Amino acid sequence: MPESAFPQCRIVPLRLLSPQTTEGLLNRVTGVSGVRRIVINGPGLPAIVPYGPARGQANPNTNRRTIQVCGAEFEMKVQTGTVTLEVEDESVITAVQEMCDAFFTKIPYTLQKGRRFMKSSPTLVDYAKYGPKANELIIGLVDPRKKDGPVIIPIPTRQEEGEDCQGISRQNIHQI
Amino acid sequence: MAYKPQYGPGTSIVAQNRRNQMNPSYKLKKLRDVTDEDVVLILGHRAPGAAYPSAHPPLAEQQEPADPMRKLVKPTEGAKAGDRVRYVQFADSMFNAPSQPYQRTYAEMYRFRAIDPGTLSGRQIVECRERDLDQYAKLLIETEMFDPATIGIRGATVHGHSLRLAEDGMMFDALQRCVLGEDGIVRYVKDQVGVPLDRAVEVGKPMDAKWLKEHSTIFHSLVGTALREDPEYIEYLQRIHTLRTKYGFMPKEE
Repeated sequence: MPESAFPQCRIVPLRLLSPQTTEGLLNRVTGVSGVRRIVINGPGLPAIVPYGPARGQANPNTNRRTIQVCGAEFEMKVQTGTVTLEVEDESVITAVQEMCDAFFTKIPYTLQKGRRFMKSSPTLVDYAKYGPKANELIIGLVDPRKKDGPVIIPIPTRQEEGEDCQGISRQNIHQI
Repeated sequence: MAYKPQYGPGTSIVAQNRRNQMNPSYKLKKLRDVTDEDVVLILGHRAPGAAYPSAHPPLAEQQEPADPMRKLVKPTEGAKAGDRVRYVQFADSMFNAPSQPYQRTYAEMYRFRAIDPGTLSGRQIVECRERDLDQYAKLLIETEMFDPATIGIRGATVHGHSLRLAEDGMMFDALQRCVLGEDGIVRYVKDQVGVPLDRAVEVGKPMDAKWLKEHSTIFHSLVGTALREDPEYIEYLQRIHTLRTKYGFMPKEE
């Protein structure tokens, strides 16, 4: 692990979250100052039926809806299972924990910390895919199989630093 | 003394539920009503009210060779009529769903005739003649072997068995074949392969957590009954494991 790597933590609720709850959670998370990057993981919600006799047909799903986080709109392509955060320093994790304690009143959750949950530096595969001039902020955020990039949410991460970018990406977990 | 099947070991409620489902003389409690048309809609093999398509002429019209086995084994109604072979597949959540894939196969082999089950880790498919399938599927949906939230009727894209439940208690379904309404009733809006239905099919209210724990057939140390609470079951499993491991070395029980 490089010394420059930022601390990470992962919010794991006991249930898969609906888009409404995800929206509420992400708005709270982005309200915590010092969160650099966010990744939402969960089982995929395909836009079209992927297998079987109905393959190729539209797949209407109430969980695949557009949510709004700090003014940025994006469509949920997964049902939220975990939310991984990369933060500026350890004190932000404590703030995230306090925020989660207040937010998760109906379902229990776990805040995992002390290890890495997403890539923090480019690998050989990233080099092959994105080239030598890839923005390091998107490393570990984007599902390499998907064409769409991360969502950029412009919010101040630290009051003294002014405007910064916060990326939210969606990543699919494969079907087993 | 006549042989009396034991069906399975164990002293826990999970073991007893497994035995109940397997034992054909145990009458499964009926918890909900679905019509024949509802079942046909969810299965999606033919239009409701349509005649059963056939794969071969009825047996009565065929010249069958003389065979003592044919006299012993009577054909089912579906086989008699020459119906096609069709399927129903269930995905069962490991969060205390009332039936589980292996358990389904055991139960169906004891209770039904002329079936061909296929068992996988998170889902179980059963194939049989279409006429028989409608009856079997109806029984599997109406009785205590089904729960609208933790069991899904899924022909394809079945993922969900090992996932956490959603906030509303429903098992994850990428195709969202069934939806929990605001009135608390689960309705199927797509058939088992994901084709939208002309009308929603009601399958009743999800059972509560207490009922699920009492009627589950899966051991689960976090939300249900832990396997370690059933020493008889563990003894049985260890015996099977030991004999399997020693098999090939002429095992002898001491």
